[in-house]
Amino acid sequence: MSIATTHPAEHHGEHHPSGILRWLTTTNHKDIGTMYLTFALIMFFVGGIMILAVRAELFSPGLQLMKPEFFNQLIGVHALVMIFAALMPAATGFANWQLPLMIGAPDMALPRLNNWGFWLLPPAAILLTLPFTLALFGIGDGAIATGWTFYAPLSVQGGIGVDFAIFAVHILGVSSIMGSINIIVTIFNLRAPGMTMMKLPLFAWGWLITAFLLIATIPVLAGAVTMLLTDRHFGTHFFDAAGGGDPILFQHLFWFFGHPEVYILLLPVWGLMPHVLSTFSRKPTYGYKAQVYSFIAIGVLSVIVWAHHFFTVGMPVPALIYFMFSTMSISLPLAVLFFCWVATMWRGAMSFETPMLFAQGFIVLFGMAGLTGLVLADVAADAQYHHSYFVVAHFHYALFAGGIMGVMTGVYYWLPKWTGHMYSETLGKWHFWLTVVSFNLTFIPQFFLGLAGMPRRIPDYALQFSEFNAISTVGAFILGLSQLLFAYNIWRCVKGGPKAEGRVWEGAEGLEWELPSPPPHHSWETQPVVK
Amino acid sequence: MEATLTPAEMARRQAAARRTAWALGAAALALYLIGFLIQR
Amino acid sequence: MKVFARHLRRLPPWLLALPAICRADYSWNFPEPVTPIARDTLKIHNEFMLIITALFVVVFAIMIYSMVKHRKSIGHQPAKFTGPKGGLQWFWAIFPFGILLFIDFILMGIPAVHAIIDMEDTKTKADMVLKVTGMQWKWQYEYPDSGVKFISTMSTPREQIGNAEQKGEHYLLEVDNPVVLPVGKKVRVLLTSTDVIHTWWVPQFGVKRDAIPGFLRETWVKIEKPGIYRGQCAELCGKDHGFMPVVVHAVPETEYLAWLDKKKTESAAAAGAADRTWSKDELIAHGKPVYEKNCAVCHQADGKGIPNAFPALSGSKLCNSEWLSKDGKLIPDSHVDRVMNGKANTAMQAFKGTLSDTDIAAVITYERNSFGNTMGDMIQPAQIKALR
Repeated sequence: MSIATTHPAEHHGEHHPSGILRWLTTTNHKDIGTMYLTFALIMFFVGGIMILAVRAELFSPGLQLMKPEFFNQLIGVHALVMIFAALMPAATGFANWQLPLMIGAPDMALPRLNNWGFWLLPPAAILLTLPFTLALFGIGDGAIATGWTFYAPLSVQGGIGVDFAIFAVHILGVSSIMGSINIIVTIFNLRAPGMTMMKLPLFAWGWLITAFLLIATIPVLAGAVTMLLTDRHFGTHFFDAAGGGDPILFQHLFWFFGHPEVYILLLPVWGLMPHVLSTFSRKPTYGYKAQVYSFIAIGVLSVIVWAHHFFTVGMPVPALIYFMFSTMSISLPLAVLFFCWVATMWRGAMSFETPMLFAQGFIVLFGMAGLTGLVLADVAADAQYHHSYFVVAHFHYALFAGGIMGVMTGVYYWLPKWTGHMYSETLGKWHFWLTVVSFNLTFIPQFFLGLAGMPRRIPDYALQFSEFNAISTVGAFILGLSQLLFAYNIWRCVKGGPKAEGRVWEGAEGLEWELPSPPPHHSWETQPVVK
Repeated sequence: MEATLTPAEMARRQAAARRTAWALGAAALALYLIGFLIQR
Repeated sequence: MKVFARHLRRLPPWLLALPAICRADYSWNFPEPVTPIARDTLKIHNEFMLIITALFVVVFAIMIYSMVKHRKSIGHQPAKFTGPKGGLQWFWAIFPFGILLFIDFILMGIPAVHAIIDMEDTKTKADMVLKVTGMQWKWQYEYPDSGVKFISTMSTPREQIGNAEQKGEHYLLEVDNPVVLPVGKKVRVLLTSTDVIHTWWVPQFGVKRDAIPGFLRETWVKIEKPGIYRGQCAELCGKDHGFMPVVVHAVPETEYLAWLDKKKTESAAAAGAADRTWSKDELIAHGKPVYEKNCAVCHQADGKGIPNAFPALSGSKLCNSEWLSKDGKLIPDSHVDRVMNGKANTAMQAFKGTLSDTDIAAVITYERNSFGNTMGDMIQPAQIKALR
């Protein structure tokens, strides 16, 4: 790899291991960022293959390929993998690579903690997927089959797959908390002289809020799944009415984490967007302060809206009304962000390289996510949407068009900085168009399926849902195959390509663009001074 | 303004970072444990 | 460029010439509403969708205009502003914010509050009560005022699901015993569950409510038009979550009362059957269909279960050992105990609340004399009745 190559002579006689040992013991933020991103890419394909199997089953009515029990495992593990093993590690990879470069620091504040945070991930991924293999050998009945939401009492009933998932979630949670702590203390303490908080790049602000949300909410998730574990094996009755408990307590605890989680997945991307838009519009970011305050507002609001995920559970009228209004109020700071994104482009001098295409695709498609989210918040209509394919479509617009396409934006934007080579712009554009068209082909029919009355998480469906399911499956396969272009483009770029300058993009502003591409081993050996 | 940070300044910042890190970790642990200690 | 996303709503026709078993019948909105709540919901949905479509179109028209006019390749020079300057610009910045505030909290918010209060008002002027119990993987319906109680199971044959037979018109949306309700009467629907959370959903009623074990939840319907209305369970509840439909026949009140009478007679007869003495062959013959409907889904038709998931009954210790102690008490964890009281923390539910004395006695007798089990004994419905 040409990323962060080392020469002993440059490091005053330090010895750096090579091969596997290098990657196992590295405390360098660029190496660790690379590992997070590589892991995320692999898990993205793992989660993708799972859901292609699901979509293949859903191509036509009837059960053709798998038993319902297996179907239930695939959908839940798909979500857990995509959220915890693909999106979050990718965002963490960005943070690791970019934060020290952007704030003028030589590395993260706690380099060893950084290494541990990463290396917890592969064992967790194995724990999550191992039950599939064990079942092949007659041990247990497969992976977790309750959906990624683990609702009790179904999860109390489930087989060993649930226990494996509980342990995986604990480990993933610890890794996230470690990463978050590192990010917060790095941003607070290692900014170059002259970089006040209100000069902090927006990407760093986005991650700062994300890190606080993680620290506040992951312990609640961990608590909920620990209580689930003890209900399963140690005779407690937290979620069992017969024992004096309440199944709905689980939903409250889970979604207290679960709602902020979606902003945890999105805030890093919202922090990235202004950078990309400004660069390719050749215009300064519009509304820096407004965006900072919006991030903070969204972070705070995100923790007080959780019950909108279970409006049909039978909660008192005042609760329904409160959660509806609090949820809708998130649309306000979010609207500020959209306004600032469009205002950054307005009267700029735009060019449409791949990162810009992805950023603009993100704005449009994530806009659809936000708007359908507003509609879902309306309790009066939600009874029809809840747990139907309308919700499935909404959150894929949020998490794929928002999260994943946001990650793709960042990869195309920063890959030349990390590797020192330009990626293939032609392949990039093909990837973009194939992705956007097939993504819409996959998920627009799902909105209509939900309106027509198709519930979620069913392996087979009534005949009136056939057409849209078939179309959705075709879209999904094209979407999946298109990502091979992405992986190939990345691989090719890592290996070589036209040389990339320090300032890769003509309109790029920020400390990271003042370093060579790729940056030297210790990034900023001499701190820059920020005016 | 200093052109570079002196090693002493870096060390001070790192120590501050470590203190904050321990505090945040303790906060996370406290949140986790609080749930088990609150009785209905 | 981004108009692509919008044009995809008109899908090319060739995409629809797909598998022959598909029916050319697709829809773009909620199915026809037949209750006041469903009509309210549809109206709110249509309004809100219109609003968000308008917002989408306006914002992206502005963005697309910018992408066309403000590009480097036609020589546009970039501006340098970073925020609103002057009154007019501040107005353009605050104005969208204000519109959204108005839409959220006033335009859509106030009608929503009225609709919610109406939706949750289950008790005012209710004419009757229907109790719905969710269980893995069927619904039990009870008319508490009349003592009528029955289980409603999906009636689509497994051969259709396995693609061995042509699928019927109401594939996956048909049951053996549908709910019957009178048109024009406000029905208070109470919901609970015996095992895990299920959700009762009938789209044309606009009603979706969770059925939670150990708790009672409520909703209401007032069906305005006679007809057959179909829905499904909407909360993942295990392997057959997709196979427990809801079917409601809404009929004029006189027809409803006649049906209710008939059901009352039937259940009286079934209860009476519990008092007589049955022969072993009678019990086994009666027990086989009960097994196939209620037990085979997990324990399988051949009694061999699914390894690590559902235990085998064939050759099992439970089915081949005593269930009554010497002094006439039920042995804990014995065959009868298990069927009547279920097993905590597993999918084995307690059937004492859902199967009749006769059904329980028959199915246990069947199990003890089938799948290679040769206990040879039998159990009378009256014995089950005594154990309650």
